[in-house]
Amino acid sequence: MAQTRPLWQFKEPAKTYDVIVIGGGLHGLAAAYYLAKDHKIKRVAVLERRYPGFGGSGRNTEVIRANQRAPEILPLYVQSNQLWNSLSAELEWNLMVWMKGLVGLAHSEAGLNAMRMRHETQTRMGIENHLLTPAELKKLVPALDASDRAAIPIHGGYFNPPGGQVRHDAAVWGLSKGAHRLGVDLCVGVEVTGINLADGRVQGVETSKGAIAAPVVHMAPGGYSSQVARLAGLTLPVVTLPLQAMVTEPIRPFLDQVIVSELYFCYLQQSLKGDLIMGAHLDPWQSFKLYNTFEFSAEQAYFILQLFPDLANLKLMRSWSGLCDMTVDGCPVMGRTEIEGLFIDAGWGYFGFKASPACGKNMAEYMATGRCPENIKSLGLERFYEGRMVPETYIARS
Amino acid sequence: MGFLIPCPNCGLRDVYEFKFGGEVKAQPGSEADLKAWRHYLYFNENLSGVQEEWWYHTAGCGDWFKLKRDTATNEIIED
Repeated sequence: MAQTRPLWQFKEPAKTYDVIVIGGGLHGLAAAYYLAKDHKIKRVAVLERRYPGFGGSGRNTEVIRANQRAPEILPLYVQSNQLWNSLSAELEWNLMVWMKGLVGLAHSEAGLNAMRMRHETQTRMGIENHLLTPAELKKLVPALDASDRAAIPIHGGYFNPPGGQVRHDAAVWGLSKGAHRLGVDLCVGVEVTGINLADGRVQGVETSKGAIAAPVVHMAPGGYSSQVARLAGLTLPVVTLPLQAMVTEPIRPFLDQVIVSELYFCYLQQSLKGDLIMGAHLDPWQSFKLYNTFEFSAEQAYFILQLFPDLANLKLMRSWSGLCDMTVDGCPVMGRTEIEGLFIDAGWGYFGFKASPACGKNMAEYMATGRCPENIKSLGLERFYEGRMVPETYIARS
Repeated sequence: MGFLIPCPNCGLRDVYEFKFGGEVKAQPGSEADLKAWRHYLYFNENLSGVQEEWWYHTAGCGDWFKLKRDTATNEIIED
């Protein structure tokens, strides 16, 4: 049967709402979706300056996983994995979730020790993980060069089954569809130019389409978080850095897992279409410009060829970049702000894709009930003033 | 495209030779409380526009210096 009903329609914003969500990426769309679904809050608007998924939601390398280091944040990633696996049925929209598992590579004893530590944490929290020798890695990933001939031979690694890939555009479309069906207003081409405050409370926002009033405003602006927070007079503990990624031409299926080299800081996985997605290079300087450099492509190609020499003659098809608002401890900023009614979900750097459904669900609960959910209670902005960091050292730092 | 950074000692060099040292901030005085120091250490204006910032020439002369750059375009602003 052909689908005749539109999956979603964009709307002009009304004058008042119960909740305004700034940012039509996955975090904002998920928050709006769960506000409507879990908490029956129907008068919700998502304000997006460009188009849904313009930022990190459409620019990431589609990896989902729950094998980070810090026990404070692991339950959030576990919850997110569970949501990814149930959302396709719930949204009646195929997100192409592929739980193929992650393979991490260590190239030194120190690297392997870091993996052993994370392995213990994960095992105690019920996350399946296996430490592997180079021979076992070679058996699992036949194309991998696990020999001593490599410039820096592989010393060991892990296989982490509860991870994989989700089609990121499908996620944006699915959540747009879900939010629209529940009565959320999706407003695109609406730029927020001000956040109205009175007596320490948020009153609404000023936009390119006029003022909109709401008692609750949620900021989910991805890499542009500092710009949006500044509208309310807030400074954030982030620096925005550009991240580059690229894909090769499509080839026959040869790689069944997501490969992560923790020495080279590179990711490699094969999409369902057959192309190889590579990324995770963060240029270590602040920039809001989206650009690609030859240095990036050359460096990534070199790293990938160290691991998979057989890929030497593949062509690169496209490269792109996205903006990552990086915190100093590698964990996000989620929760209330000092302004009553103003919430934030930012500082997600380049690791926000995998967590987006759980972020939306927890932020929706916080906004609707006023109580901070357990899974995000360590992630508030106040931790930077209280000296209570959540050191996510696993995050690739520049 | 990457961009070039004008090192005061070495001239125009590729940005990948440098380490970015963050935006220039006013250091709190010795009488400031812990909160002010933490704000100084961890929080940033993170401007999309012209800002003054620190750079370190890792692969060159090894000097720290300040320059003005438009972070929205990566253009260096000459004084």
